[in-house]
Amino acid sequence: MTDLLKNRRLRDNVLQLVFVGGIALMLATFAVTGKTNLDAQGLTSGFGFLEKTTGWRIGFSLIEYDTSSPYWLAIVVGLLNSLLLGAICLPMATLIGVTVGVMRTSGNGMAELVGTLYVEAFRNVPLILQLLFWYALLLSLPNPRDAEPILGGIVMSGRGFYFPALNVLGSSVVVSLFVVLGGASLALWLQAVRWRDADPASARRERRVLGGLMVALVVLAMWLGRLPETGLVSLPELRGLNYQGGVRVAPELMACIIAISVYGASYIAEIMRAGFNAIPKGQGEAGHALGLTRWQILSRIRLPLAIRIVMPTMINQYVWLFKATTIGIAIGFADFFMVISTSIVQSGQTLELIGILMAGFLIINYSLAWVLNRVNDAIRLRGSQLRI
Amino acid sequence: MTDIVPPIARFREVLSKDLRRRYFATYTDTAVTLAFAALVLWVLWGLLDWAIADAVFSADGREACFQTEGACWSVVTNRWRIILFGLYPFEEQWRSAIACITMVIVIALSCLPWFWNARRLPLLWISGFASFYILMRGGLFGLTPISEREWGGLALTVFIFAAVSLIGMPLAIVFALLRRSSLPWISRIMALVIDTIRSLPLLTIMFTFALVLPFVLPGWAIGDTLYRVIIGYALFFACYQAEIIRGGMQALPAGQEEAAKALGLGYWHRVGHIILPQAFRNALPPTINQFVITFKETSLVTIIGFFDVMASGRAASGTAEWSFAVIEVYVFLALIFFTFTFSLSRYGAHLERRLSVGRR
Amino acid sequence: MSDIAVRIADMNKYYRDFHVLKSINLLVRRGERIVLCGPSGSGKSTLIRCINRLEEHQSGTIEVNGTVLDDNVDHIDEIRREAGMVFQNFNLFPHMTVLENCTLAPILARKLPRAEAEKAAMQYLERVKIPEQANKYPGQLSGGQQQRVAIARALCMSPQIMLFDEPTSALDPEMISEVLDVMVGLAQDGMTMICVTHEMGFARQVADRVIFMAEGQIIEEASPVEFFDSPKSERTRAFLGQILGH
Repeated sequence: MTDLLKNRRLRDNVLQLVFVGGIALMLATFAVTGKTNLDAQGLTSGFGFLEKTTGWRIGFSLIEYDTSSPYWLAIVVGLLNSLLLGAICLPMATLIGVTVGVMRTSGNGMAELVGTLYVEAFRNVPLILQLLFWYALLLSLPNPRDAEPILGGIVMSGRGFYFPALNVLGSSVVVSLFVVLGGASLALWLQAVRWRDADPASARRERRVLGGLMVALVVLAMWLGRLPETGLVSLPELRGLNYQGGVRVAPELMACIIAISVYGASYIAEIMRAGFNAIPKGQGEAGHALGLTRWQILSRIRLPLAIRIVMPTMINQYVWLFKATTIGIAIGFADFFMVISTSIVQSGQTLELIGILMAGFLIINYSLAWVLNRVNDAIRLRGSQLRI
Repeated sequence: MTDIVPPIARFREVLSKDLRRRYFATYTDTAVTLAFAALVLWVLWGLLDWAIADAVFSADGREACFQTEGACWSVVTNRWRIILFGLYPFEEQWRSAIACITMVIVIALSCLPWFWNARRLPLLWISGFASFYILMRGGLFGLTPISEREWGGLALTVFIFAAVSLIGMPLAIVFALLRRSSLPWISRIMALVIDTIRSLPLLTIMFTFALVLPFVLPGWAIGDTLYRVIIGYALFFACYQAEIIRGGMQALPAGQEEAAKALGLGYWHRVGHIILPQAFRNALPPTINQFVITFKETSLVTIIGFFDVMASGRAASGTAEWSFAVIEVYVFLALIFFTFTFSLSRYGAHLERRLSVGRR
Repeated sequence: MSDIAVRIADMNKYYRDFHVLKSINLLVRRGERIVLCGPSGSGKSTLIRCINRLEEHQSGTIEVNGTVLDDNVDHIDEIRREAGMVFQNFNLFPHMTVLENCTLAPILARKLPRAEAEKAAMQYLERVKIPEQANKYPGQLSGGQQQRVAIARALCMSPQIMLFDEPTSALDPEMISEVLDVMVGLAQDGMTMICVTHEMGFARQVADRVIFMAEGQIIEEASPVEFFDSPKSERTRAFLGQILGH
């Protein structure tokens, strides 16, 4: 008997069995308890509630939505809002972050100082605090009657920012967004699969065709979504107490954009700085020896190398930054999380909605990571004989 | 006279050469330097004006606040007790203060290498946390009992952070060891669990543990909402920290474990004496970063409804008399967080420099 | 106490589908010194790593000191205590001093009291001629010194058999002799040794048998004199030509 106990193979199998069994037991307990509680409260389980009307408003929506819309539409609105926030904040954070990162490694003392001040100021304060701060700041802007338009059409007021806008339906904008994203993804995939090893002239031709197709589709979407009897662009005009026309970006959305972009940028700047520092000095020296200017060395040698070095870390950072968009609930921005939590409060279908919430985030994060990993593969340095 | 001038002239020459290289090397550099310098001075001037020159500091300066455009720090001097201690009873607030200071001392001591020992560090944290808990909770040593519901402000934030760290770290070690197990079922399931939890926003996890878990837990396991949220946060922390530890373990040459095996050391001896100590050394800078982030993210509990330092800050400025001064309160809160996180991340950077010097 | 140190009978090892070791038969008596040589990829390192279960064999039997090497954890632990191993990359524990490296396993695996373990460790460190380095860290020693510490560390477990996996291959040329001297000393004291090495001078001087392996099989087995002066197989001759050529 003791011999059996000492057998390593047997031990390994028993351990695995116990582990898997323990987890299964835990999940089974959850399922049984959950079912009992649901029955006791007389709630029906299942996803039928998604067809029911919500009866409540959503502050910001890209597509048509009102109080008589079903739950599933509300969830879609929340999802689109989260995606919108992500689509705006991630590129902005990258832009600001890369700039600050370049500043911090530029060699110019003043630029480095400003970069350091930026990073330390925004990295050491919690995101939610920054969000509340920006929101309070935006709300304290003068109200529309007293606000002066700047740059010939942009108004910053306590009720929101007004921008000149194209007179098209929201759904056209969404479609265009999808076209751009889809086109970009397609381009990246083709780059890795076809264009890298293909003849440059034909690759360039195919690139032009894809670009033209994307532009055509966007223009078509805009044309079809044109609002009747209006010009192409509408400018915000003061009528009475408020501005009419143009597009109004609510303070909630604006605060979220500013806070998440600025916070994310401070982390990206640090990552970029690490990337720049990881580039051997010999690269810059070779550039100088060849007679390149500092800007050329930066833009054509150091920056591309730094991006390739930090890509895996950046992927984690982007996934994390997208998750940070849930913070919108603190100031009432109707992102995915807030819509789900309101639905839970209103409909009581807690378990199903939590399941939808988790599934949603898992799908989005895995997709994001997958796309970025394709990008990483496409731009990765090739070969194993590298000596840099 | 003649032997004083040369050193001064040389000093000035060296200084100006350095200055020139760093700030004025080329025309673009000069332009950039001047532009940024102007920006910094402008921002600094405005900030100092608002925060100090035009500001009102006294506790009953509320009337004066309306006369000036500067900061109204009176909201802080007047309401600091609420911000730091929440609704903790007035006479007992000294206990809250001492508890917080105890935790700060524990964290500061954790930074000393003398404590980096499998015996001393847990002992330090457990005793520090126990003191914190006894001071806040009371019931022993003649202290009046005060339930968790009345804890608030900075003390609650510190409590949550300490509890999450204390539970999360051992959990992280367990997760990391399970993740690298050679048994396929165990490592794959752990990988799935860790990746799934890492893909979810922290807010979602806190929310689930606070509101959803009571549904699926048997009655005895439900416990207090505060402790459920702490466990949820600890789980999240453990998943991130487990990946950091695993990175540290992967940086170890395979030969280390082989040598330990060849010497006849069993699994727990190998893990405890050879693998984990070296993995932690490798993973020290990201671990400190993880603690900094954890402290910052405790502010999220305010959304769930807990009366942490963020909520207490808003409560302090939430009354009709002080509602105009909400930005000053936010700045004060920011300073509290900044002090803690900046010191810790500076320490982390210093540690990283020291560790990389030691490597060949 | 049996006369046989290591008995390997009809041992096969596969790595996925790749047949790494083919039908190995080997008998090592107590006090014998065996040198294993062969081209890279021949499986010689894998063979000795199978002896102390750093690699697992799929069929055949391995017996060390009378204990059969199977899935029984007690057997595996016993064999690892009785067989000491010295690695090509030393594998000293960098976060411990030289003395702590040597005393760790005796204290934990043989349950020796600390004082006794330290005394034994100092004796072995003197035997490898670096007692003054006892409180230094591995990173502060030269390659040759580190490898000698590694030998002392393995000896502190009082093993019956010493396994050497290319112990001098990672050393700078001027340090090879100091390590080889220690190994010669060990052989003269009667330690059973199985060495994978390219140092043919050492083989000639110390080995009782030289075994040549290629492609996972034992090709030739002979005394050093026979092996170097009149190798039987063509393959052996080709290998010797390459190795001794320059």
